[in-house]
Amino acid sequence: MNAVFRTANWLLPLLYLVVLIDYGSTFFLRTRTHKRNPLLIVLLIAHTAYLICWGINIGRLPLNNAYEVLGVVALSMAAVYFVLETAVRDRRAGVFAFLLIFLFQYTSSVFWAAGAGEMTSAFARLHVVPAVIAYTAFAISAIYGTLYILAHRNLKNRRVGMLFDRLPPLELLGRMSWHTLLAGFLFITASLVTGALLANGAEPGHAGQVVDSRMVAKIITGCAAWLIYAVAVLGRAVGGWSGARVSGIGLFGFATVLIQIIAGAVLS
Amino acid sequence: MNLSVIGISYKTAPVDFREQFALPGEHAKRLLRAIHDDNVFEEALVLDTCNRTEIYLVAQEPQDELPYLLRLFSMLKNTPADVDPSCFYRHEGLQAVRHLYTVAASLDSQIVGEDQISAQVKNAYRQALEAGTSKLFLNKLLHRTMFTGKRVRTETGLNRGAASVAQAAVELASRVFTSLKGKGVMLVGAGKTAELAAKNLIDCGVDNIIVANRTIERAQQVAASLLQTAATDDEPDETLCHVPPHCATSLDSNRGSLTVKAVGLADIPSHIATVDLVISSTSATDLVLRKDQLARPLRHLSKPLLLVDIAVPRDTDPALNSIGNVFVYNIDDLNNLVEENISRRQDEIPKARAIVDSEVARFAEWIDSLQVRSTLKLLQQHFDEMRLAEIEKYHHQFSEADIEQLDVFTRSFCKKLLHNPMAFLNSISKDASTGERMAVVDIVRRMFDPTTSESTHAESSKT
Repeated sequence: MNAVFRTANWLLPLLYLVVLIDYGSTFFLRTRTHKRNPLLIVLLIAHTAYLICWGINIGRLPLNNAYEVLGVVALSMAAVYFVLETAVRDRRAGVFAFLLIFLFQYTSSVFWAAGAGEMTSAFARLHVVPAVIAYTAFAISAIYGTLYILAHRNLKNRRVGMLFDRLPPLELLGRMSWHTLLAGFLFITASLVTGALLANGAEPGHAGQVVDSRMVAKIITGCAAWLIYAVAVLGRAVGGWSGARVSGIGLFGFATVLIQIIAGAVLS
Repeated sequence: MNLSVIGISYKTAPVDFREQFALPGEHAKRLLRAIHDDNVFEEALVLDTCNRTEIYLVAQEPQDELPYLLRLFSMLKNTPADVDPSCFYRHEGLQAVRHLYTVAASLDSQIVGEDQISAQVKNAYRQALEAGTSKLFLNKLLHRTMFTGKRVRTETGLNRGAASVAQAAVELASRVFTSLKGKGVMLVGAGKTAELAAKNLIDCGVDNIIVANRTIERAQQVAASLLQTAATDDEPDETLCHVPPHCATSLDSNRGSLTVKAVGLADIPSHIATVDLVISSTSATDLVLRKDQLARPLRHLSKPLLLVDIAVPRDTDPALNSIGNVFVYNIDDLNNLVEENISRRQDEIPKARAIVDSEVARFAEWIDSLQVRSTLKLLQQHFDEMRLAEIEKYHHQFSEADIEQLDVFTRSFCKKLLHNPMAFLNSISKDASTGERMAVVDIVRRMFDPTTSESTHAESSKT
C-alpha cells in the first residue's frame, strides 16, 4: 500500500508540472481563453483524493511536518488560484502561480517520508489549519505582488516589451495582492493566537508544549511575519500607502514565512 | 458561373482619382439597381471603403465588365468616359475569390489587421441583398468571406495590438485598469482630438468626464457636445474601442448615464485626484500640467493615474512620472507602441495567408459541387421533357382519364430510372476528388445531351 502512495506522491509534482507547462504556453503564446482549465480541475480532484486517502491510511491529518504542510499548501494555493481565475476570467498569472506551487509540491514530494511525530490533538489542528490557509494566502499575495511590482515598473519605464502586454492589468494585480494579503493576515493572527494558547497548555490535560530550538524559531519567525504584514495592512488602510509599497512589504513578509517553513523542516 | 471583380484602390490610384469612383451609401444602391435592371449580370456586389471601390459581378458567360461599368459611372456620377484603365484591376474566378478573402481578412488594407473592413463587407452584402443582386453564388461567397475574416482574426494575431494613436491610448488604459466602466476621465484641451478621444472612451464604458480648458465657455460647449453624442448614438463604434483580444472582457461598452463637467485650467489641481485617466491635447506652447502645482494633490494617490499627453509641444511635465502611482505617456510612446504592434502584425501575415488559401480551396470544392447539382437538375429536366414529349405524341390514342394515369405512370417510371444515377452523382459530389467529379459530370452531360459537351468543358475551365 505504501508503494502505491509513494508512486502517487511522485505523480503529483508531474501533474503540477504539466499544468505549469500549460499555463506557460497560454502566457507565451498569448492564447485567448476564458474557460476553466480542465487540467487544473483534474489536478485538484487528484490531489484532494490523494490527501484524503493518505490521511485515512495514516489515521491523521497530513499536516504533521513542514513537508506535509507544503503539500497541503500547494493544493490550497491551486484551489484558491482556480477560484480567482474563474472570478476574474484571466489566466495570465497562472504560469507564475504554478511555478511556486510546483516548487512547493516538488519539495513536499521529495521529502515525503521525512518528518515524524503525530498530530493527534484536535486543538493543534486549530493552530495548523489557519496557518496553512495563511501561508496559502501569503503565497498567492506574493505572486500577485511580484507581478504588480513588475507591471508597475514596466509602466513607469514605458516598456512595451514581451512581458508588458501579457500581464493582467495593474489594477487587477494590485487588488488580488491586497485582498489575499489581508486574508492571510487574518488567518495568521488566528494561528498565532491558537498557537500561543497551545504553548501555554490551554488544551485540557496537556502540560504544555516543549520549547525547543524548532519551537523558538517558529515563534520568532511567525511573530516577525505577523508584524511585517501588520505594518503592510496598517500602512494601506490608514496611511493610504501605494500598491507597490504594500506589495514590497508583503514580499518581505512572505520571505519570513518561507524562513519559518524551512526552519521548521530543518530543525525537526 | 463566372465571377469577376473590377476595382480601384490606394495601391493603383491616388485619392483624387479614386474619389471620382467612390460609391458611398446611396450611390452604391443606385449602381446595384442599375445592374439589376439591365439584366446583363446575374449577381452584383459593391464594396466601397476609404481605400478601395470594388464591384463583384457574376455572369453565366465571361463579359467585358469595365466598359459597361464605366458607362454606368458616367451615367450615375458624371465621371469622364475616357479614363485610364490601368488604374483599375481585374480578377476572375478563384483569383477573385482569393482577392475578396484577402481584403476581408484585412491583408490588403493600408494598416494590416484593421478592424473596420469586416463591418464594411457586411454592409456591402446587406446592400446587395436589399437590391436583389445577391443570389446563390454571392450569398455563399459572402458567408464564406465573413467566415474567413473571422478565422483570420481569431486564429492569428493579425488584429492584435493598437494600430493608431487613439487605439494605443485605449490599449494603455487596458494595461492599467481592469475596466473603464465607472472610471473618471479628464480631458485637458477642448480641441477635436480631445473630443474624438472622449467619444472613444465613452464607447469603452467611461461615464464620468471632466473637460478642462483655458476658456470655460469652450469647455462647456465640448461637454454639451459629448452629452449629446452619448444620448443620440445608438451603436457604439466598437472598432474604435480596440482592445487586445485577451483583454476583450475588460473594457465593457456602457452608454448608460454619462456625467460631463466643464472646468477651467486653474481647477485642474482640485479635480485631478478624482479621475483615473487624463488625456491632454491643448495647443499651449508651455506645460499645462506641472509637477509643482500637481505634486500635492497627487502625493497620497493610492490608485493608479494614467496621464496620456498627445500634444506637441507637450502639455505634461515629465517629472510627474516620478510620483508614485502616476504614469505619464507622450505621443512618442504611443507611436512606439503602434509601431511595435504593426511589426508584430506583419509576422502574422503568412499564417493569415495560409488560412485564406485553405478557404479558397474549400470554396473551389463548393463550385465543383454546383456542377453536380446543376447536372442533376438537367437530368431531371431532360427526362421530364422526354416524358411529356412522348405523352403528347401518343395522347390521341388514350382517353382523358387514361392520359392522367399515363402521366402518373411515366412520372414514377422516370423517377425509378433516375434513382441510381442521381444517388451516384450525389455521392461523388461528396466523396470524389475534383477531377473525378468533373470527369463524371462531363460524361453524364454528354451521354444525355451531346450538345452540352462543349459548354461543359468551357465551364469547368473557368474556375
